[in-house]
Amino acid sequence: MARKMLVDEELTQTNPEEAHFDFDLFVIGAGSGGVRAARFSANFGAKVGICELPFHPISSEVIGGVGGTCVIRGCVPKKILVYGAAFGGELEDARNYGWELNEKLNFNWKKLLHKKTDEIIRLNGIYKRLLSNAGVKLFEGEGKIVGPNEVEVTQLDGTKLSYSAKHILIATGSRAHRPAIPGQELGITSDEALSLEDLPKRAVIFGGGYIAVEFASIWRGLGSEVDLFFRRELPLRGFDDEMRAVVARNLEARGINLHPQTNLTELIKTDNGIKVITDHGEELLADVVLFATGRLPNSKRLNLEAVGVELDKTGAVKVDEYSRTNIPSIWAVGDVTNRMNLTPVALMEGTCFAKTVFGGESCKPDYSHIPCAVFSIPPLSVVGLSEEQAIEQAYSDVLVFTSNFNPMKNTISGRQEKTVLKLVVDAETDKVLGASMCGPDAPEIMQGIAVALKCGATKAQFDSTVGIHPSAAEEFVTMRSVSRRITVSGKPKENL
Amino acid sequence: MATTFTAPKLSSPTFQTLCRNLPVFTPVPNTLSSFSRHRHHYRLQLQQQRRSLFVVRAESENGSEPLRHYDFDLFTIGAGSGGVRASRFAANFGASVAVCELPFSTISSETTGGVGGTCVLRGCVPKKLMVYASRYSHEFDESNGFGWKYDTEPKHDWSTLMANKNAELHRLTGIYKNILGNAGVTLIEGRGKIVDPHTVDVDGKLYTARHILISVGGRPFIPDIPGSEYAIDSDAALDLPSKPEKVAIVGGGYIALEFAGIFKGLQSEVHVFIRQKKVLRGFDEEIRDFVGEQMSLRGIKFHIEESPQAIVKSADGSLSLKTNKGTIEGFSHIMFATGRRPNTKNLGLESVGVKMNKNGAIEVDEYSRTTVPSIWAVGDVTDRINLTPVALMEGGALAKTLFQNEPTKPDYRAVPSAVFSQPPIGQVGLTEEQAIKEYGDIDVYTANFRPLKATLSGLPDRVFMKLIVCAKTNKVLGLHMCGDDSAEITQGFAVAIKAGLTKADFDATVGIHPTSAEEFVTMRTPARKIRQGPESEGKTGQEAKAAAGEFHLRLMLIVNLQYDAKVAGWWKESFQDSFSFISESGLCAMPCHASCSNFLHMSSKKVKIIWIIFSCIL
Repeated sequence: MARKMLVDEELTQTNPEEAHFDFDLFVIGAGSGGVRAARFSANFGAKVGICELPFHPISSEVIGGVGGTCVIRGCVPKKILVYGAAFGGELEDARNYGWELNEKLNFNWKKLLHKKTDEIIRLNGIYKRLLSNAGVKLFEGEGKIVGPNEVEVTQLDGTKLSYSAKHILIATGSRAHRPAIPGQELGITSDEALSLEDLPKRAVIFGGGYIAVEFASIWRGLGSEVDLFFRRELPLRGFDDEMRAVVARNLEARGINLHPQTNLTELIKTDNGIKVITDHGEELLADVVLFATGRLPNSKRLNLEAVGVELDKTGAVKVDEYSRTNIPSIWAVGDVTNRMNLTPVALMEGTCFAKTVFGGESCKPDYSHIPCAVFSIPPLSVVGLSEEQAIEQAYSDVLVFTSNFNPMKNTISGRQEKTVLKLVVDAETDKVLGASMCGPDAPEIMQGIAVALKCGATKAQFDSTVGIHPSAAEEFVTMRSVSRRITVSGKPKENL
Repeated sequence: MATTFTAPKLSSPTFQTLCRNLPVFTPVPNTLSSFSRHRHHYRLQLQQQRRSLFVVRAESENGSEPLRHYDFDLFTIGAGSGGVRASRFAANFGASVAVCELPFSTISSETTGGVGGTCVLRGCVPKKLMVYASRYSHEFDESNGFGWKYDTEPKHDWSTLMANKNAELHRLTGIYKNILGNAGVTLIEGRGKIVDPHTVDVDGKLYTARHILISVGGRPFIPDIPGSEYAIDSDAALDLPSKPEKVAIVGGGYIALEFAGIFKGLQSEVHVFIRQKKVLRGFDEEIRDFVGEQMSLRGIKFHIEESPQAIVKSADGSLSLKTNKGTIEGFSHIMFATGRRPNTKNLGLESVGVKMNKNGAIEVDEYSRTTVPSIWAVGDVTDRINLTPVALMEGGALAKTLFQNEPTKPDYRAVPSAVFSQPPIGQVGLTEEQAIKEYGDIDVYTANFRPLKATLSGLPDRVFMKLIVCAKTNKVLGLHMCGDDSAEITQGFAVAIKAGLTKADFDATVGIHPTSAEEFVTMRTPARKIRQGPESEGKTGQEAKAAAGEFHLRLMLIVNLQYDAKVAGWWKESFQDSFSFISESGLCAMPCHASCSNFLHMSSKKVKIIWIIFSCIL
């Protein structure tokens, strides 16, 4: 392997016309998308290098870790905490089933945190081995692009390595961002929230997205007092309005204080904790303030401007349908492109990239019918269109089927929490346009429904499927009567 | 007729297909269409007289039947899942309907039953409630790994559970009564008996009906062995006055496994006696192996190839079970889960000429019609696929056939089902064995992994998933899963499989991360390809098993991944989720649960196997 030790400023310009490169592919960022693209490209026979920042649970400009957000600071640790927190409600429910438990249950946050960290360290190791087993060369350090076919990796000790590559893939992901309010440095982001030393007694969360409601559920389930502030009337903008209301109701019923249409304006440090001030003039004290106010692409320190890779105004790398940037040899996948920021989507983009570039098969990622889940307690999961999207896009009437029921488990536990399922159907073609569910196991249930929707299943095909009894999922195949019909004529018509 | 069973029959000891010898199919009589012509008039009449009982409706009948007045258009015997569904739907279509049912009791007999039937009172519902209750002990164990601690071990109070369960059953039977009442169906309490093709006797009172529907269901069957009077069945097991300290369960079907999980979870000592080598005959072989092993790991003691011969009650009141292999003493309860029989005795069927098979099940055609044209039967009494949703389908189809002028056959293809064992099983479509028989060339995809929850809890829980794909058409023929949430996960996939989707369609679907279910859309490499021709790649399950000797092995393979990067890559692709341990040097250990065929496949790939550690667990 032609590896050059470089003195600063001594950059070798590699001529792209030359057939010889150090690598066929160099990937910057070993998260979900980067690892997938690297492995698959290597499997297609490409010589692949990848660089990633050193491992740490909390990310910054200089630390990260193989596995990326999903494994180290996202899906995996989050789900582990959700599992831990869900026991809170489960144990309450156990009593009416005849279980005698102490009034006060002990929960040891440090133990959970420690085990979580062990698990992500284990996964970090597995990802490293996945790369090495695929024959991908891993470099630890910060990657920069210095030319259309040239990357530079700054190692921990400050030494710089420079490599030429036929293709460069940017897969650096994104990071949580904080709002610019006075005292914002007193708040934390989801990175820190997944690694807190102590469980907060009083937690304030600012944000209405999925990260905000997931942390609200986690902390509440573990016994914290939680106040959730968000700008809109309901949390989870972009999801089906009816389901947003269901989630809001469930969060509230589980003891989370919701503050809709409220902004945080200032954080002040006091002896009793952080004083939080809202734009309604409210004040409250918190041990922890979490900003879940969005994430921004990690594109700043990649030197993209110098090589002319175009970014949009949020800093996301602009790409075409094949994940190619405006520089033909430079590509980007995953959150850094801010298309649909989900692990399985990054995997799909990484796979398509490898197929397109090294597999001899043009492959566009397909963004239709991508299911997703919010791991609130209870969770929400959706695939396809929301009712509002369906009505907006409809050429014919839209039929809405809903099922709102008390799950069987609650009949004895006494928990007052309805499970809600919803199908949105095109009245003319009978195609199911969207499915949503909020209730226990919703994400597990929705996966199979997603296969059906992806392939254009009709309501009749749902109806012809026999139920699995007794399950919550069977409601999806037993929705006989339409809850409402939205006529397209009800929509304002422009050409009248 | 291409319709064959796609789901194993759960409670019957024999497999059947729908293609049994049915009486010559009689087309739906023209009286139906004449009925329909009068529907408009009929509806008007109905609106006026819906609530009045025994209204005589003068409907002209142009068919072979003479003009006759009936008390009801439909008289249903048995208000369980199938009977209630058929009655309600018939009433909604404008028919006048009565249904009779025995008085409520948690234990069924010749004289007791209750509106709601087996599913609601003695089956699915109470069973699932007990599963919920019993699952907590596993959750307590799991929660330890997540930082929860109990100063004193959680104790279970049996009477609280029974009281709350029975309150719920009473509520449900009330709801079912209301559903019938709201649909305008007349409910008569008592034992129905057929007198002639159009007359039912309920405790001495006679009712005439244009059509009679038999939906009396089935009941547990206990074989006649000495001491069988000391045994309990599933009815009693769902309503025990106190916790069974040490229970023997005889049977290897889904009921046996569900109760084994329930009692184990509620802190009883549980022994399961099965006649065969494996549990769940008729299910996919790998699932049978997997669930048996997982349940053993949770502390259930299986006694294989052990048939009961007698039960002896000792002076201290405890029970001993004598089997072909010996006697085991000290049981507080012995439960038989040895099958169910149709409730066809004393219904007057023989005298009116309704034909039954040798198990006592009523023979019906594809439209659920018996050998007597005016008498129909749905649900377990016909012993087709004995599942609530199937009875619902049959009842719904019958109502359409009779009263909506829309002859409808129930469709038995790709009926999904679940076993609420712990861990539970979900399945839809064909087993590997059925698929090979029917299609010959198939590809089998499997995943056997430790779920995220178990990595923290430290419990030995695993998940097994399997897709069976037709090699020629790429259609997914069967899907099987054993592990947490299997029942819920399977439902959506059942829609996809019923719609005839292909493996490519599965692959095109994006996963939901992190879930177990996403494994079904991320299975890239087949575990084996089964080809009937001489160029067969891999071996069939049968061959593999034969080659492995009839052992039930738990293989632990330790493989040097550094040996060959290519092989290692393939290995990782195929088994990346199966690793329970990977050492820094690249050694990996994969518990290869009962996958003897996988093992053979691996050997053929010339993986350098350093050690093979195996232990016979059965």
